[in-house]
Amino acid sequence: MEPVGISHFMTVGAIMFVCGVVCMATKRNALGVLMGIELVLNGANVNFVALSSDFLTTNPARGLGLDGQFIALFVIVLAAAEAAVALAITLNFYNNHSTVDVDRADELKG
Amino acid sequence: MELSALLPILLGIAWLLPLASFTLIVLFGPRMGKHGVGASYLATSAIAIGALCSWFSLFCWFGHYGFKPAEHGAGSQFAAADHAEALTPALSQGEKETATDHESYPRAYTNDLYTLGQFGSLKITISYYIDALTVGMFAMVTLIATCIHFYAIGYMHDELHDVTDHEVTLSDGHHLHRPGRFHRFFQYLSLFCFSMLGLVYAGNIAMVFVFWELVGICSYFLIGFYIERKSASNAANKAFIVNRVGDFGMIIGLMALWGGLGTFAFGDVTDADGKVERGIFSQVRDPANGYALAAPDGMVRSAAFDAVEEIAFEHPGRLMPGAAASEINSRIPSWRADHYGYWLLVIAGVGIFCGCVGKSAQFPLHVWLPDAMEGPTPVSALVHSATMVAAGVYLVGRFLPVFAPEVLLVIAYTGCITLFIAATIAITATDIKRVLAYSTVSQLGYMMLALGVGGWVAGLFHLITHAFFKSLLFMCSGSVIHATHTNEMTKMGGLRKKMPVTAYTMLVGCLAIIGAGIPFLIGFSGYYSKDAIVAQALSFSLANPLHGAVFFYAAVGGAAMTAFYMFRLWYMTFAGPPRDHHIYDHAHESPKIMYRPLIVLAVFAALVGCTVPDWFPALGGLGVQNLLEQARPAGELGEGVLMAGLAYPEEHASHAHSIHVQATVYAFSTALGGFLLATVFYGLRWLNPADVKQQFFPVYNFLLNKWYFDELYDFLFVKPAHFVAFLITFVDRRLIDGFIDNLARWARKLAHFDDLIDRYFVDGLVNLTAAWTYSLGSSLRSLQTGRLRQYVMLIVIGLVALSVLINFASAR
Amino acid sequence: MNWHTFFFLLFALVACGFAVMVVLSSNIVRMALYLIFSLGATAGLFFLAGADFVGAMQLMIYVGGTLVLLVFGVMLTAQGPFVSMKTRGGDWILAALLSGSLLAFLVPAAFSIKEWTNAPPAAAEEHHAAAGRGRAEAKVRFALTSTPAENADAAADESSTAALPGMAAQPATATRLGMGLLGVRVDKLEGRSPELQRGMSGYLLPFEIVSVHLLVVLVGAAYLARSKRRATR
Repeated sequence: MEPVGISHFMTVGAIMFVCGVVCMATKRNALGVLMGIELVLNGANVNFVALSSDFLTTNPARGLGLDGQFIALFVIVLAAAEAAVALAITLNFYNNHSTVDVDRADELKG
Repeated sequence: MELSALLPILLGIAWLLPLASFTLIVLFGPRMGKHGVGASYLATSAIAIGALCSWFSLFCWFGHYGFKPAEHGAGSQFAAADHAEALTPALSQGEKETATDHESYPRAYTNDLYTLGQFGSLKITISYYIDALTVGMFAMVTLIATCIHFYAIGYMHDELHDVTDHEVTLSDGHHLHRPGRFHRFFQYLSLFCFSMLGLVYAGNIAMVFVFWELVGICSYFLIGFYIERKSASNAANKAFIVNRVGDFGMIIGLMALWGGLGTFAFGDVTDADGKVERGIFSQVRDPANGYALAAPDGMVRSAAFDAVEEIAFEHPGRLMPGAAASEINSRIPSWRADHYGYWLLVIAGVGIFCGCVGKSAQFPLHVWLPDAMEGPTPVSALVHSATMVAAGVYLVGRFLPVFAPEVLLVIAYTGCITLFIAATIAITATDIKRVLAYSTVSQLGYMMLALGVGGWVAGLFHLITHAFFKSLLFMCSGSVIHATHTNEMTKMGGLRKKMPVTAYTMLVGCLAIIGAGIPFLIGFSGYYSKDAIVAQALSFSLANPLHGAVFFYAAVGGAAMTAFYMFRLWYMTFAGPPRDHHIYDHAHESPKIMYRPLIVLAVFAALVGCTVPDWFPALGGLGVQNLLEQARPAGELGEGVLMAGLAYPEEHASHAHSIHVQATVYAFSTALGGFLLATVFYGLRWLNPADVKQQFFPVYNFLLNKWYFDELYDFLFVKPAHFVAFLITFVDRRLIDGFIDNLARWARKLAHFDDLIDRYFVDGLVNLTAAWTYSLGSSLRSLQTGRLRQYVMLIVIGLVALSVLINFASAR
Repeated sequence: MNWHTFFFLLFALVACGFAVMVVLSSNIVRMALYLIFSLGATAGLFFLAGADFVGAMQLMIYVGGTLVLLVFGVMLTAQGPFVSMKTRGGDWILAALLSGSLLAFLVPAAFSIKEWTNAPPAAAEEHHAAAGRGRAEAKVRFALTSTPAENADAAADESSTAALPGMAAQPATATRLGMGLLGVRVDKLEGRSPELQRGMSGYLLPFEIVSVHLLVVLVGAAYLARSKRRATR
């Protein structure tokens, strides 16, 4: 069996990304959408970390090195921030409309 | 104070007092007294004082110069003297009154009072020219004016309250009701007196012209006093316009005089530096030349302009003005001998005479005077019988030295034709004032005839006597009109019982006009003056058989007709049975203020022609004729140049016994004949004038319609003027206005078209763009569904598409 | 098969499987749980990739913080009808299409770069020798995605051990990450540019920005989600 390479990690990341996208696209619950977002970000993080790894590639000097991990850290922090805001919005929405159904949030339609 | 200073002052006062009266009445008229009656007192006192001044100056004149001229005959001097010169000779003349030294006998005073402006060599001044004629005219005018002022106070009393004018119908059918204008009448009378006296006083022809026009304007105001009456306002317009036609000729004459003589002044004036500026008279009749008529240098030079150009061209230094002057001047006498410049002199004379034709209502400009009777009777008496119409005759008399014999012939013919036409029309007229108006025209013709045949004294003598008896006649007729409220003689009759004073004063006037009297002994004023005219005409016909015959028979025939129509008038008005009982019953004598002036004038009309016989102590020789003799212009009238064979005899030749007797016989017999005819028809009524009318119906009609002059002028002048006006109106309204209107119409159409383009095309484009934008926006709105999941979907789709693109782009 | 591969497979299956279950589940509470599991497995993947610090952070911050927050949110809003909300069938199809296309695009892209496959040099030779199809393609891709210097490195690397490459002992990443965040890049001292050789160009500024950003965001979120007093007196 061949050793695990970046591609395998990227596959995992792709799957997580796609799941997250589908989750965002299909869930009617706002929190479900939020979860989708988290999945997307994580998928991206997996990619970044994989690319920065020294183990997974035959030529580590060609990789991102530590930059990938930096980026992954930042992504985590920003995901936290964004999750907080999104939650705040959702709670506000829930308080005002007594529902978390995103299909009901169409007052901004043109 | 010597006469040369006193006379201008006295006559100046008499001249300017009416102006002061006019100004005061203009400013304060309505407030003077009750209903403005004070205005009449002011005007009358002004003119009365003027009369006193004039008569006083007449006495001064007589006192200085005596009653008779120094020498009655040839060579009577005519010298213009200035202010300074008059001093010594005047004093010395007091002693040498009867001396025959005529060389330095100043009988005219002339000087400039004030220079209005000097434009190069043209000097416009206010100046005076006082000689015996002036003094006489002043005395006559002021006396008659005073009488008429008194008369008018009574005649115009209607104007002291509101007046209902029955001759004016307003558009709603009522008669006009207006406030009275008493003060305004006297305002105009004062202005008229000022103008007339100014005309007589004037020392230069430009000033004469100014006052000429002023008199015309006053006449316009006075004729149109009842301005609301269409007939009155038309008559005023007619008078002024016809006068203007004459003035056109007068201006041409003025231009010729100015061009040829370079001055307007009558007499020589010495200015402060001692330089003598020669006036018109001495330039045309040079004293050094024996006062013979000769074309003045200026006129000769103008006429010989081609020769002058030649000389100027050939002369070295020809570009300098005046370089060739000496040579030209030396050639002037030879040119004059070739009769250069004579035509200019003739034209100047004819031009001035044209003004007189207009003013004195001679043929063909006589049409205004009968219509001028629309004015109140005092106006007719003062303006249109005694003074204004006499101004023309006066000017001819004043200007006689300048008139060439050819011009005098023209004057004579004009007068002759006028007197004949007017007399014939007067025979058939029924309006009492019209008869008198035509009589005035006829008598003016007489005066012009007299002046034209060389009877200077005769013509002016008739002027003065005519003034008295004609104003008397008018005032009497005014009295009759006042009593009967009608002008038509066909409604009068037998009035002498009701109005004796008027009747008998009018009788005196009629006798005066026809020249009644006891032949060779004594007569009314008209007798003497008409006699003189006929005598002069006879004398002229002896020298010029052809022309003279016409003039003589015209004069004599005119006398006959005058007698006829005047007594026709008197009989129809005062004698016989009353034709309208209503009017007869209401007729009454005029108030004292009206008939007293009549009496005064009657006395004058009777006596003013007489000359006190020489044997009478102290007053021997006092008379109008002698007064006028003192002012006779010097020099012979001469012989015709362009018309050879025209010879003017001296006037004193008419006093020759043979001629005088013949003239008297003719004049008296014709007057008697006319009188008898009138008595037969109208006095005794043995014959019926209606039969005559029937028999001579065409002639009668022709005369009744005033020889169709008005119709002729209407056809010749009024209709073409209307036609030209119509053409011009047509051009203006159809072509010009039409053009403009069409321009406007096309501009409107263009604007409409532009509007369409603007609205549908331009706005349409803009609106279309906006609509598209809107619809695009609307359609894009549908993208904003507001559904979160759809947005996510779209994001993802976009992402996928982008990635695919990038992949394939980079893979290539 | 070594432990690395085994653990990789384990964690990968857990992560992907639970991620799929998050998608397929309709109960919000269960979705939250599955998400926690999925992200936990991801942390394991991080460890396997050698990013120990990041993996620890994932567990602490992401799972322990963000997801807990999410769970709080779920708890606050999971009232009766909102606990499970079904999606319609049409949406599923669309989602499937989308996910299919994306996946079909991403996975081949992941496997397209030769270096990412982490095959040993022998495998590289095999790749070269047996590359009848796409030989030129591989060469082109290689040529496109590498520089001449890297070609030299790659050539040098081809002769390295067949064992797991980069299995040389590396120090822990925490210190290096920390230094990098402070602006000193101690991991790039052999870098090409003089700045990198001096150890400059760190992430100090982004670090500051992100910290302030986080503060602001949290303050804002707290404000946004405050309970509004109802004005009912």
